This record gives sequence, C-alpha cells and structure tokens, in this order.
Amino acid sequence: MSLATYTGVLDLTAGAFLLAAVLIVWRRELRSIVHLLAWQGVALAAIPLTEGLYEGNPGPVIVGLVVLVLRAGVLPVLLLRAVGTADAERRESTPLVNTTSSLLITAALTMLAYAVTRPIIALDQAAATRAVPAAFAVILIALFVMVSRRRALSQAVGFLMLDNGITATAFLITGGVPLIVELGASMDVLFAVFVLGLLTGHMRRAFGGTDLDQLRELRD
Amino acid sequence: MTTTVLPAAAAELGEGPRTARLAREAIASGLATTLLGALGLVLGVVAIFGPTRHLRIDWLLPLAGVRFDVDPLGGLFIAVTGAVAVAVGIYTVGYAQREHWARFPMVVLPLFVAGMLLVPAAGSVPTFLLAWELMAAASLVLVLSEHNRGAVRFAGVFYAVMTQLGFVMILLALVLLSAAAGGDAFTTIAAHADDMSAGTRTAVFVLTVLGFGSKAGLLPLHAWLPKAHPEAPSPVSALMSAAMVNMGIYGIIRIDLQILGPGPQWWGLTLMILGAVSAVFGVLQATVATDLKRLLAYSTTENMGLVTLALGTASLLSASGAPDVAAIAMTAALLHVLAHAAFKTLAFLAAGSVLAATGLRDLDKLGGLARRMPVTTVMFGIGALGASGLPMGAGFVSEWILFQSLIHSPPDGNTLLALAMPLSVGAVALTTGLGIASMVKAFGVGFLARPRSVAAEDARESPMSMLTGMGLAAAACAVFAFWPALVAPALRGVLDALPEVGGDTAGVQLATFLRLPGIDGSLSPALLAVALAAGVLLAFAASRWGARHRPAPVEVPLWACGAETLSPRMQYTATSFAEPLQRVFDNVLRPDTDVEVTHFAESQYLVEKVTFTTRLADPVEQRLYTPVVGAVIALAQTVRRAHNGSVHLYLLYGAIGLLVVLLVAQ
Repeated sequence: MSLATYTGVLDLTAGAFLLAAVLIVWRRELRSIVHLLAWQGVALAAIPLTEGLYEGNPGPVIVGLVVLVLRAGVLPVLLLRAVGTADAERRESTPLVNTTSSLLITAALTMLAYAVTRPIIALDQAAATRAVPAAFAVILIALFVMVSRRRALSQAVGFLMLDNGITATAFLITGGVPLIVELGASMDVLFAVFVLGLLTGHMRRAFGGTDLDQLRELRD
Repeated sequence: MTTTVLPAAAAELGEGPRTARLAREAIASGLATTLLGALGLVLGVVAIFGPTRHLRIDWLLPLAGVRFDVDPLGGLFIAVTGAVAVAVGIYTVGYAQREHWARFPMVVLPLFVAGMLLVPAAGSVPTFLLAWELMAAASLVLVLSEHNRGAVRFAGVFYAVMTQLGFVMILLALVLLSAAAGGDAFTTIAAHADDMSAGTRTAVFVLTVLGFGSKAGLLPLHAWLPKAHPEAPSPVSALMSAAMVNMGIYGIIRIDLQILGPGPQWWGLTLMILGAVSAVFGVLQATVATDLKRLLAYSTTENMGLVTLALGTASLLSASGAPDVAAIAMTAALLHVLAHAAFKTLAFLAAGSVLAATGLRDLDKLGGLARRMPVTTVMFGIGALGASGLPMGAGFVSEWILFQSLIHSPPDGNTLLALAMPLSVGAVALTTGLGIASMVKAFGVGFLARPRSVAAEDARESPMSMLTGMGLAAAACAVFAFWPALVAPALRGVLDALPEVGGDTAGVQLATFLRLPGIDGSLSPALLAVALAAGVLLAFAASRWGARHRPAPVEVPLWACGAETLSPRMQYTATSFAEPLQRVFDNVLRPDTDVEVTHFAESQYLVEKVTFTTRLADPVEQRLYTPVVGAVIALAQTVRRAHNGSVHLYLLYGAIGLLVVLLVAQ
C-alpha cells in the first residue's frame, strides 16, 4: 500500500466515521440508528486494519478484526433485540431539540472539535493525527445525542458512539493500541450494553415505556 | 434473623433440610474462622520470636505490589487477633444456628478475620491501606447483618461514615510519610524518618492519632463504637471490640512510636490526655448504661483509653530521658491490650449467649440468669472481674504495672512530669473505681437476683459450642490473672523491637513474682490467688465447724418490706444502681430525667403511680456531632437543588464539564 492510498483510505474512513455520527443525529427511527451505528463500527475497525496493512504489522490487524466483530456485529445485534415491538417504541419520541437545531449544533460541535484539537495536530503532522478532529467530533456529538434523546435505547447508542469516538482517538493518536488494552475496553463496553439492555427491559416493565424522563419519579 | 419464609413455604420445604443446611453452613463458617485464627496465632507467635519475615507478591496490586513484613510488633497483634478468632469461630458454630444467620454474614466473618490478620502483617503503605479497607468493609457488612432493624441501619450508616473519615486521615498521613521518605515500604519510611521536616512529622502525628484513635474508640471520634458494637451480632461484637480496636493501637505504636519516635514531649502528653479523657468518659458512660452490650462497648473505649494513656506515658518518659520507666509503661500497654482482648471477648460472647437465650440486652429486664444459665453466668463473671481491674481479674496486672510506671516517674524537677503523672494516677484510679461499679452492675443486675421479665424467666443454657468458645476465652483470662509470666517472653520480644520507648532496657520481669527493676514494687498474682483461695477455704471450714454449735435452721417467710410477698420489682435495677453516680456526675452526663406522678381521681393525696424516665445521650456526640452533621445536611440540600432527577440534565452537566476542561486546556 502506497502512502497516497494509505492517506486516502484513512481520510475516507475518518469521514465515514463522522458522517455516520451526523446521520445518527438526523434519523429518528431506532432501527436505522442501530444500523448506522453498525456502519460506524465498520469505519472504526477500518482504522487499525488500514494502519496494520500499511505497516505490515499483524497486531493492529487482529485488533481491527476484534473491533469489527464486536462493534459492527455483536453490539448492534444486542441493541436490535432491545428495540421494542410496539410501534410507539420503535421511534424516538418528541425530541428535546428538533432535527434542524440538532444538525446545526452538530456542525458547531464539529468545528469546536477542530478548534480544541489544534495542539494535538501541532505535535505530529502524520495523516493519522490529522484525522483526530473527526474522532473528537464524534465524542462531542455522542454526548449531545445522550443529552437530547429520550429513549433508553438512544442513550445506549449515544454511549456506544462515545466509546467509538474514544477508541478512534486512541487508534489515531497512538498508532496501535495493545491488544490487551483493547480487549479490556471492549469487555467494558459489552457489559455496559448488557446493563443498558437490562435497564431498558426493567423500565418497560415498570413504566410501560422507555422514556428516560419517567425516571424522574424515582427521585425522593 | 432474616429467614422470612412464609409458613406455607416453610412447611413445603420441610424444617429438616433447612436446619441441616443451616448447621452445615454454620460449621463451615465457624471452622474457617477458627482455622484462620489458629493460623494467625501460630504465625504471630513465630514472628515474635523469629527474625522479620518478608513476602512480596508483585502482580497482585498493579504498580505498587503487595508486601508483607511480619516483625515482632506485628506478630503480637496478629497473634491476639488469631486467638480471639479461634474462640469466636467455635462460638459462632452454635450462635449462627441458634440465631438463624443468613449466608452473607457467615461468608464475610472469615473474610473480616483475614483482613484483621493482614493489617499488622502489611509491610508497605498500599498493602496496609488495602488490608485496612478489607477489614473496615467486612466489619461494616457484618454490622449490617440484621439490617431489617432500624437501629442497625442507623448504626451502619454512622459507622460507615466514621470509619471512612478515619481512613481518609490515615491515608493522608501515610501518603505524606511516603512522599517525604520517597518510598512506600515501612522500612524505607523508618530509615528516612529522621530527615523529615518538623511540619510533616507533626501533621502525620495529628492525622494518625485522629484516624487510628477513631478506630480504637478514643474521644472525640468514639461515637460509632457504642452504636455499631452493640448492634452487630455478638460474635462480631467480640471480634470488633477485642481485635479490631487493637488495630488502632497498633497503628499508633507503629507510626507514632516506632517509625517517627521518639517524638517530642507534647506527643506523649497529647496521647496521655486523649487516653485519660477517653478512659474516664468511657467508664462513666458504661456506669450509667442499661444496655448490656452498650455497656461493654463503652468499656472498650475505657480500656483503649487506658492503653493509650500507657502509650503516652511511655512516649513522654522516653522523651524526658527515663527509658527504663518508659519500658514499664509500654509493657503495661501491651499487656493490657492482650488482657482486654481476653476479657472483652469473653464478656461479649457471654452477652451474646444471654441475648440468644432471652432476646434481651436491657439490664432492667434481665436478672435471675445465675440459676437458669449457670455456665454463661460464671463466664460473664470471669469477664466482668477482668474488666473491673480487681485482683484475680485479667485486667489487674496490667493496670497495676501502669500505676507503678505512673507513680515511679523520675522526680528530677521536671514540671511537666510532676504535673502529668499525678493527674494520670487520679484518672486511672477514678476509671478503675467506676469500672468496678459498672461491672458489678452488669453482673449483679443482669445475672443475679430474680428475673425481671418473662423472657429472662424462660432462659435456657446455650449449646456446647458456644460454651466451648467462652471457655477458651475464660482460660485466656485465667492466664492473664494468675500467670502472666506465660506471655512474658512474647512481650520481651516485642519490646526488644521497640528501642524508641526504652525497649532495650531491663523492663518488667514477669515471673512468679513481678519485679520492676529500679522500683521497689513487686507482686505475685499466683501467690495472691493461692492466698485468697486458702483464705476462702479457711473461712468455709471455720463456718462449717461453727455450724455444729448453732441451733437447727428454721424456715420462715422472708420480710418483704411490709408487702405480702417479695416481687422482682423490689430489686435494684440497673438504672437505680447507677442513680447515685449519675447524680454525682450530673454535669458531665447531663441526663434528661422525667418524674411523672399520677394521682387517683378521687384524691390528690393518694398516688396511683410514679413514672421515672431517664434518657442518657452521649454529651460529646450531642455537642460536637450535631452541628457538624447539621452543616453537612444543609450543604447537601444546597447541592441537591441541582439534582432534579432528569437524566438528561445530569448528562448535560457531564458534557459541559468536558467542554470546559477542553477549552481550559487550550
């Protein structure tokens, strides 16, 4: 793989990664949100795969394959199972922020990500480092998704997106995360999804829906 | 106590299998505790007489690694904890079955013992803190084992907060120490202790005295002890009161006397004041307490106060250039730790036996147990005798040695010593005197005379395993009462490792005769016992001989104060027994007393009934804790306004926090 191809593929991957995040903000259908998350997982896995192939190093390739199986396969399937069968449960209910404003805020957050990562890019002008703002933007967008969505499942998606962003930042800055660290982080995420799935089920039984605002009743 | 199976379900399950399962679990738990204790006892004794043993496990704790260095001082505390655990383990086999323990406390009990055994074995700061937290967390879980009672939950919360506050202070002190020494092993810290600045040393001293003092139940951070110890199940109370409080003393000896010592004079003086105040306050509260286990818990504060007073005396004397007398005070402290462990284990186990048989802790409702539970009564008697500090009791020899060290401080015109020592003698004398009153009350009102309630009337003796556990503790009490020479080599070994407080001087010679070098005082507990036994035998024989000349006995009804028959209500109660003392110490105790007289409707001159209620709260707790707790609650309420229950708002706080950090980091 030549340097030009490597840079091109890496930029494309980072772009796809960010685009998936923006599309998740745009869509309201829970099923398609989860599909988009799977595509984001593919883009995430492509980062270490590209790096590994370019450097001819098997370590990142294995990490990439693990990430691919978990983030594009296992986690979305688990989430799809948690999507309710009732019609009302399959869409995000009235959003706290409407779609147009959401997209504008997303744009603002992306710019903010570019602004705050300037010191990191200044350290190293490599192609991977220059893609860091995209990963950072995904972290901020994920936080926004968690703040603005009502359904428990959207929260789970936001959480996974946050973790995707953190993992992508780690891949891009360090140029290869040790397998043991990646396995630990993946394990954590897997458990978090299990817990969130359980919580969704409990909420559905207790309140008849998964709107997080109903949790207010638990205070006091 | 938490078996809330419905009657129908219980019938379906069948009583047989459940009882068998409970028995299996109780035996497993008790056996594990006993074996751990025996292991600790053996390892501790080996450590006292052998060279320091090291063990490093690097992979167990990331970055720091786990490190154990067992030296004679640590060995002594390991051995004490182990010995207490042996007795408690055997006792638990019967107690857990009788009280229908849930599985959880049975599992955590050996874990608690393991945590306590690891604390004195720790050789580095991270290992020490880890073991300390294991001990604190396990004991908290055990305190909460009867969590369906409100008082238990309150005590649990109180204990959790206080123990964590204490932990924070210890953490700060040890972090300061390791930062100043440039290493986290205790040996490294000890090697660099002399180079540390005076400020660091002072800060560490203050923090450790507060942190470890809170664990030892010293004023003013004692308030958790009389709450948590009585509410825990009795074997746990015994472990906490006889073994866990010792860890506070161990910490003070290890850090302030050994590693940082010899400290300046004011360190010793601070310890003496804290100890004396705790001893007098603890025993006063014990004197007026009517709850048997609360009384014993306050007695723990009293005894730990005496130990701290002895430690302070040792520190002050060695700072004032009298290492030989300092060694005597140190011997008194260590011996009292051992003796207290023995008699407090016994007293709490006996109180647990009473509680299991009657369901009562209130002395005003007990009584008449001597006839119904003879073995338990004798056991409690031995424990109470030990706690009262009378001759033939376990606590006598150590208190006598403490007195000797206080009286024989060098009269070289040192004003500080000339003032501190007589005052301490006064405090110890007052403590011992009141201690006798409180123990006479506990034994006399609780076990003798006639039963004051139906529950006490129906009491039955405890099962064999509980009596065996108490028997072991009673045997230990007998050793300290009659033959303390048995532990003399161990004390010598520990003192040799403590040159900071005159450990390298001759010290006390504990043999048949106790001799204090350079001081003309000697004592022989064994001969004292023999003389007393001979006296009793002589008196008995004389009375038998005299009986032949007396006329034959005639049976007549007892005089019942003019009433028809004697009733249990005519007896002294715990409240009435303590009333004169309560009057004397009215200013300190500040009791809340109500006397309510109800007259007959027909006549103002005839009284139908008189109700006397007295409520005794802990005055230190009321004065010192209430404002602090109030301030914390007010602060929490302010913070609570930002918590409106919306998950989205909480997430927004997090997001804003992240953005602020990112922008500030620019």
